[in-house]
Amino acid sequence: MALVQQIQPLTGGSGARDRARRITGSPALRMVGRRLLAAIPVLIGVTFMTFAILSLLPNDTAQAILGLNASASAVAALNRSLGLDQPFLERYWHWLDNVLHGNFGTSVQGQSVNHELAIHVPTTLYLVLYALVVSVVLAIIVATLAARKPNGIADRISLAVCMLGLSTAPYVFAFILIIVFAVKLQWFPVLSGPIGGSPVSFFKNLTLPAAALGFGLFATYTRLLRADLVEQMQREDYIVTAKAKGVPPWRVLIKHALRNSMFNLITVVGVNLGGLVGAAAIIETIFQVQGIGNDLLTGISNHDAPLIEGITLVFALVTVLGNLLADLAYAVLDPRIRYGSSIS
Amino acid sequence: MTDALLQVDDLRVTFAVGGREVRAVDGVSFTVDPGRTLAIIGESGSGKTVCCRAILGLLPTGTAIGGSARLRGAELLGLSDAELRRYRGSDIAMVFQDPARSLNPTMRVGLQITEAIRTHRKVDRREAHTQAIELLRLVRMPAAERRFDEYPHQLSGGMRQRVMIAIALACRPKLLVADEATTALDVTTQAQIMELLLDLQTELDMALILISHDMGLAASYSDEVLVMYAGKIVEQAPATRLFGAEGAVRMRYTRALLDAIPHLERPAHAELPVVGGRPPDPTTRLPGCSFAPRCASAADDCLAKAPALLEHAPGHRWACWHPCENGVAS
Amino acid sequence: MAAPFPNATLATPVPPPLPSLINARRLRAQRLGRALRLWVPVGILALILGMCFLLPLVVTLPSSTAGNILYNNEPPFSPGHLLGTDVQGVDFFSMLVYGGQVAFEIGVAVTVIGIVIGGTIGVIGGFATGWLDAVLGRVLDILLAFPALVLALVIAEGLGPSEIHVIYALSFFGIPFVGRFARGATVTIRGLPYITAARLSGTRRWRIIVRHVLPNIMPSIVTISLLGIGITIILEGALDFLGYGIQQPEASWGNMIALGQQVLTAQPEYVLIPSIALLVTVASLNMLGDALRERWGTQ
Repeated sequence: MALVQQIQPLTGGSGARDRARRITGSPALRMVGRRLLAAIPVLIGVTFMTFAILSLLPNDTAQAILGLNASASAVAALNRSLGLDQPFLERYWHWLDNVLHGNFGTSVQGQSVNHELAIHVPTTLYLVLYALVVSVVLAIIVATLAARKPNGIADRISLAVCMLGLSTAPYVFAFILIIVFAVKLQWFPVLSGPIGGSPVSFFKNLTLPAAALGFGLFATYTRLLRADLVEQMQREDYIVTAKAKGVPPWRVLIKHALRNSMFNLITVVGVNLGGLVGAAAIIETIFQVQGIGNDLLTGISNHDAPLIEGITLVFALVTVLGNLLADLAYAVLDPRIRYGSSIS
Repeated sequence: MTDALLQVDDLRVTFAVGGREVRAVDGVSFTVDPGRTLAIIGESGSGKTVCCRAILGLLPTGTAIGGSARLRGAELLGLSDAELRRYRGSDIAMVFQDPARSLNPTMRVGLQITEAIRTHRKVDRREAHTQAIELLRLVRMPAAERRFDEYPHQLSGGMRQRVMIAIALACRPKLLVADEATTALDVTTQAQIMELLLDLQTELDMALILISHDMGLAASYSDEVLVMYAGKIVEQAPATRLFGAEGAVRMRYTRALLDAIPHLERPAHAELPVVGGRPPDPTTRLPGCSFAPRCASAADDCLAKAPALLEHAPGHRWACWHPCENGVAS
Repeated sequence: MAAPFPNATLATPVPPPLPSLINARRLRAQRLGRALRLWVPVGILALILGMCFLLPLVVTLPSSTAGNILYNNEPPFSPGHLLGTDVQGVDFFSMLVYGGQVAFEIGVAVTVIGIVIGGTIGVIGGFATGWLDAVLGRVLDILLAFPALVLALVIAEGLGPSEIHVIYALSFFGIPFVGRFARGATVTIRGLPYITAARLSGTRRWRIIVRHVLPNIMPSIVTISLLGIGITIILEGALDFLGYGIQQPEASWGNMIALGQQVLTAQPEYVLIPSIALLVTVASLNMLGDALRERWGTQ
C-alpha cells in the first residue's frame, strides 16, 4: 500500500496547485523579500542625504514664509515654532517618525504635504505610464521590423530615428511638438488642462507631454531591443534548431528571439523608472501638467523643505520600486529562476 | 545509385571572412542509401558540419554554395528559403551538439516539440500534444507527460538530447543528421543515446548521418565512413573495410586518428601517438596534399601536387600518394 | 614506400569556380561607411569646439551679455550680426558661441568627476568582498536611487546660479551614471577565468585592478562617457531653462531656449537655433560613441 502511494506523485500531472506550491516556496519570493529589506536602508539613506543637503544649503524657510520684510524676531519665533532651530539629526528623526505614521508634514504654503501628494502623484503617474506604454509597444514593433533584415531599409531608418531621439532634449522636442501640433495644426492644446474623468480629455491633455517624454524612451528601447534581437538571431544555437525545424523566419523572430530579448528590456525599463519621473518634471513645467514634478519645482523656488522632502521620497520610492519590479519580472517570467533547476 | 536517398556531388562551400575567402568544403561527394548509416569523421574545421548545414540551407547569409545535393532526385541547393523550409524537419532533420544551448530556455519542452509537428502538419493543439507525448515515449523519456510541461534547464543532458531527437523525429524524416549529437554527453549517456538512435533507425526505417570526431563511434555504429580533412574527403570506405580484423586503413590521416585512440592493450605509460601540428589555415590553399605538413611520411610529391580521391580498391577510396600498406603505417 | 599509383592523376575535371563572395566594391563601401561614421562626428565636434573656443580668440565677437537695445530683434545676416540679435539687442551668434563654451565646460567637467569618483567607487565596489562590498554596495545603491534631477535642481537653486554650482549639482547625476556602469563592467571582468588565475597566482588585488581591470574597461568607459557628456549638456540646458543654472545675462543654450519660448509662435528661430546646436552636438557625441564601440568591440 505504502509503495503505491509513493509512486503516485511521479505519474500525476502538473496541475495548478503544483505550480502554486512551486512558486511560494520558490527562490523568487524569497528574493523579493530580500530586496524589499535591502531597499529600506537605501530609502533612509536617500532621505537622510536630501535632508542633510537641504540643511546645508543657505535657505531660510521661515524667512520664505514671512517674506523679506519680516522682522528678525518674527523669523526666529517662527523658526522655533516650526522646530527649525533644532539640531539637524533631531529634525530628521522627527520627520522620519512622522512619515512612518503617514504624515508628510506641512508645506511652507500651509497645505498638508499629504494632500499635495495625493492630488498630484496620480497625474504624474498617468503621464509616465502613458509615455512608457506607448514607447515600449512602439519599440517592440519597430525593433522587430528592423531586426528582420539587419542593415536593410527598415533597420537603417529606425537607427537614424533612434539617434535623433537619443540626441534630442525632451524639452526641445516638446517645443517642436507644440509648434507643429498645438499651434499650427491645433490638434492639441498648448497647455495641458485638467485631465478629468473622460478618456477624451485624458488623451487630449496628456498626449503631447507623453510624446515629448516618450521619444527618448522609444529611441533607447528600440536600439537595445534591436541589438539584442540581431545578436540572438545570429549567435544563438536554439535559433538554428528552430530554423532546422522548418519554422518560418517571422515566427522564429517573434516566438523565440523576442521572447528571450524581453528580459533585457524589462530590466532597462525598471531601472530607468526613477530617472523617467525626474525627466517628467521638466515636461510638466512646460505643459503645465499638474503633477508632482511641477509641484517640486514650485517647492524648490519656495524653499519648501517639507514638500521637497516628501516629493524626493516619492521619487526615491519609485526608483527603488522600479528596480524591484524589474527583478520581480525576471523572477516571474524567466523560467530558469522561477522553477530553479529541479533536475529530477 | 538511382535509389539513393541523398546524393551529394562536388559540394563546395565558401565563406567570406574579413575580406578573405575561406573554403570550408572543397568538392565533397557522397551518397546515403535509405536506412543506412554514414559516419563523417574529422577534426574541427574539417568542414563536416558545414557540409550538412549547407544542404539544408542553415548557413548564415553571405555563403557561396556550389555543386549538387539531391534528395530522392530533387535538387536542394539553390532552392529559396521558403522552399527549403518544406524539407527541413519533415524530410531531413538535424540533431545538434549541445542540447543546453540548442533548446529555447524560456519555452516549455513539449511546446518545442509540438511546434515541430504543427509547422508541417495541420493538426490542432490537442492532437499535437498527444503526438508529442508519443514522441517522448518513443525516445524513452521517463514520465513523458510530466516532462511535456517542463523547461530545458529542468532536465538532465541526456534527457535534453532525447527531446532534441523527439523534435527531429516529429514528422518521421527519412534522413536524420546527428551533428556531434553525443559529444556533450558523458560516456554512459552517449552509449544510451547511440543505442536509441540505432533502434529508432530500424523502427522508422531512417537513414542516419553521424557527424563526429570520434573514430570509435564510427567504428561501432556506422555502415560507411567518410574521413574529411581541410574541406575534402580523404578516405571513404564501408566500416568493415576500415576497422576490425579485415580493416585496411590506407590514408595516413585516418591511420593517425586510429592510432591516437587509447587502447587497454597498449603497454602502460606508453606515449600516445597524437597527430602533431594544427589543421591548415582555411584561407590559404597549398598546392599539394593538405595533410602533408603534418604527415610523418610526407614526400616531395606530396607537397607538390594534391592527390585525387580515387577508388583504388572496390568500395574503398582514398587520396594519398603514399598510403599505408595493409593498414599499418610503413 | 610503395610506388606511386600510375593512375593517380587528376581524373576528375576541375569544377567551375564558385561566384566570388568578396565583392570588392561592397567591401570598400563598408570600409568607407565605417570610416565616415567615425570621422564625420569627429569633424563636426571639432568644428563646434573650434567655433566655441578658438574663434573668439581669433575674431572679436560682439558681447554675449549686453547689447544695444536699438538694434534688437535684427534678423539673421544683418550687418555685424551673423545670426541677428535677440529681444534685447544681444548678438545671437555670440550667445551661441559662449553658450557652447559653457556647455562643453560643464559637460566635460561633470563627466571627468564622474569617471574619477564614480569610476573609483564602481571599480572598487565591483571588486570588493565582505563588509567593504556591503557598504559600497549600499552607497552605490543610494547614489543610484537619487532622483538626480531633483537634487541637481535643489543644489543649483540653493547655491545660486553659477557655472561651478551647476557642475556640483550635476555631479550627483554624473557619479552614479559612470559608477553603476563601472561596477557592472568590473563585476563582469572579475568573473573571467584569467582574473581568477591571477588571484590564484597570488597577485594582490589592487594590482589586478590596475593591470587587468582598468585597461579592459577603459574603452567602454570612454564610450559611455561620450554619452554622458551629451546627457550632461542636455541636463545643464534643462537647469538653465528652468532658471536655476546659468542665468541671464550670461549666455547658455538653455537660457536661449527659455527666452525664445516667449516668442515661440512669432519667431521660432530663437528656439530653433540653440535647439539645433544642442541636437547636433549631442548627436555627434552619440555617433562618435557608437563608432568607437564599433571599432573597439561591444561592451
